[in-house]
Amino acid sequence: MFDLFREISQTIKNNKLRTILTGIAVAWGIFMLIVLLGAARGVVNNYEEESSSSSVNSIRLWSGTTSLPYKGYKDGRWIRLQDNDMDAISGEVSTVSDVAISTTASGFNIVGPKDYISGGFEAVYPDECRTQRIYEIEGRFINQKDINDLRRVIVLSRDNAALLFGDAEKALGEEVKAMNLSWKVVGIYNHRWRKSAFVPYTTYKAITGGDGYVDQMTVRVEGISTDTEAEETESQVRTVLARRHEFDPEDPNAVWIWNQFASFLKQGQAMVYLNLAVWIIGILTLLTGIVGVSNIMFVSVRERVHEIGIRRAIGAKPKNIIIQILAESVVITTIFGYIGIVAGMALLELLKPILEDKAGFSNPTVDISIAVQVTLALIVAGALAGLFPAIKATKVKPVEALRDE
Amino acid sequence: MNYELNDAVISLRDINKTYPGVVPLHVLKDVSLDIRKGELVSIMGASGSGKSTLLNILGILDNYDSGSYHLDGVLIKDLSENRAAELRNRMIGFVFQSFNLINYKNALENVALPLFYQGISRKKRNALAMEQLERMGLADRAHHLPGELSGGQKQRVAIARALVTKPSLILADEPTGALDSKTSKEVMQVFRDLNDTGMTIVIVTHDPTVGAATDRIIRIVDGSIDQNSKF
Ligand SMILES: Nc1ncnc2c1ncn2[C@@H]1O[C@H](COP(=O)(O)OP(=O)(O)OP(=O)(O)O)[C@@H](O)[C@H]1O
Ligand SMILES: [Mg+2]
Repeated sequence: MFDLFREISQTIKNNKLRTILTGIAVAWGIFMLIVLLGAARGVVNNYEEESSSSSVNSIRLWSGTTSLPYKGYKDGRWIRLQDNDMDAISGEVSTVSDVAISTTASGFNIVGPKDYISGGFEAVYPDECRTQRIYEIEGRFINQKDINDLRRVIVLSRDNAALLFGDAEKALGEEVKAMNLSWKVVGIYNHRWRKSAFVPYTTYKAITGGDGYVDQMTVRVEGISTDTEAEETESQVRTVLARRHEFDPEDPNAVWIWNQFASFLKQGQAMVYLNLAVWIIGILTLLTGIVGVSNIMFVSVRERVHEIGIRRAIGAKPKNIIIQILAESVVITTIFGYIGIVAGMALLELLKPILEDKAGFSNPTVDISIAVQVTLALIVAGALAGLFPAIKATKVKPVEALRDE
Repeated sequence: MNYELNDAVISLRDINKTYPGVVPLHVLKDVSLDIRKGELVSIMGASGSGKSTLLNILGILDNYDSGSYHLDGVLIKDLSENRAAELRNRMIGFVFQSFNLINYKNALENVALPLFYQGISRKKRNALAMEQLERMGLADRAHHLPGELSGGQKQRVAIARALVTKPSLILADEPTGALDSKTSKEVMQVFRDLNDTGMTIVIVTHDPTVGAATDRIIRIVDGSIDQNSKF
């Protein structure tokens, strides 16, 4: 065994360029495979994280424009959601546990001691932090007491808090000015990309006198587990709104509804396909690698026909030749494949912060068991790649092999 | 002269060999030949007369179409490649015109290689190989690569490799063909010395001085043994 490796290391050293070329091909293929598997893992992880959060149990609604005439109204009528739709929906649809509304107020600045930000804020209900997937909060989010007592409180993003106060750590408990009023900062949140400031919807409405029109509404549903139930709830919500705003309950455009629960189920399907696709691509990559190594082994065997002739003249049996070529192929694929695995994992580790921050991946890494599986696959691949050239090498008669120069 | 069959290391009877092709070439025609244990024999003949073909058959590197070949009493016919490899390894040592050393292995490793295929341990292999290199006067060159050796030294390494398995027979195809006359003489002296220890040696050659240095010259003319060959 040790002798065999000595033999192999000699032939490899004697064929450095060829070995390195083969190696690069293999390492590259495996590197791609690992990066691909890691990326897919990141997407799947991200999806699993989000599906475990409760935000998928919700249906979101936006104002829309009718596309069907109804009861004497022409189509093309703008239907605007109103805050009192909220009570109607939670009162009438049994599967709805909670309704939250939010609206964007803009056209003014939020002013802090150091700087100001232009734009405005979102007036929301406590549930909004779940809808917008804001989990990391220092202090707290808008709560029910804020809603009930019409408190002038505000929740800022960490970046904006840093901007307004020079240092995000100083902001909590301090005040900012907006709409000529001061607001107490009760929470600082961290999110990959969200920046909005949040205030209680009721406070905002009381200040502005408000028309009650809202931008969007989030309906949280409970006790449903299937697509049909999700769609049933969706159509009940639509029916309530149709009655209140007088549009055709069949009109899909009067209000825009995004049924996250249904799309969550569809996403589950998509994840299965994604996984499948990654494995298919992975296997194809590996196959390409096998073909590549096999080709190079063919060339290498071709180059060494004379040497193989010498070995056979002095007593090498076909099986000795086959074992040597197979082992050589396995060693090359395994060593360089391993380099590919390590490089791929290193790249994933390196890109992890960027991918997680900017691209919606979550923990895009490949675990050890996958790496082990890939390594085993490599060994098999290497053996396969070497097999045909090896068999071919023993088919040449020793005389002919010796004549080959 | 007649030899007892069991006295002969090599015994050929009516060997025929034709190379197939568009025009098939009948290279060996009813070749019969006995070589006794301990003989130093040369095979001579014009270029293309079939010398190498005959030697390859003797070395079980190639097969023949009809007739029979006994090597040390064993019928060599339609052997499996495994059996052929084993017989080559145990019974025959080859020496070639172009040395046929593996260029990335040093002298010692080249000489030891046949023993590798016998599954002998590395330590023992190297010891046995070193013994043969010493015998060839090349102990100090053991760790040199073939590229660092002269032609005569390379051929002596090849002879050491042929001897390392203690074969019954050495087959040499133009062993001096690539050497100058002085080195040729030295190599022939090596063969003579080996022959003095009882080794059977068959040398294919063009060179009359090489032929003259052997016990017997077998002449091949157009694929047949010349009956006027010296016995
Ligand atoms: N593999 C082959 N296929 C077809 N013809 C061959 C083959 N090997 C040799 N021959 C032919 O057979 C004849 C004998 O060849 P061989 O090599 O035995 O001659 P030789 O006596 O060794 O000649 P030389 O002294 O030039 O080495 C030649 O005509 C050669 O061209
Ligand atoms: Mg010849």
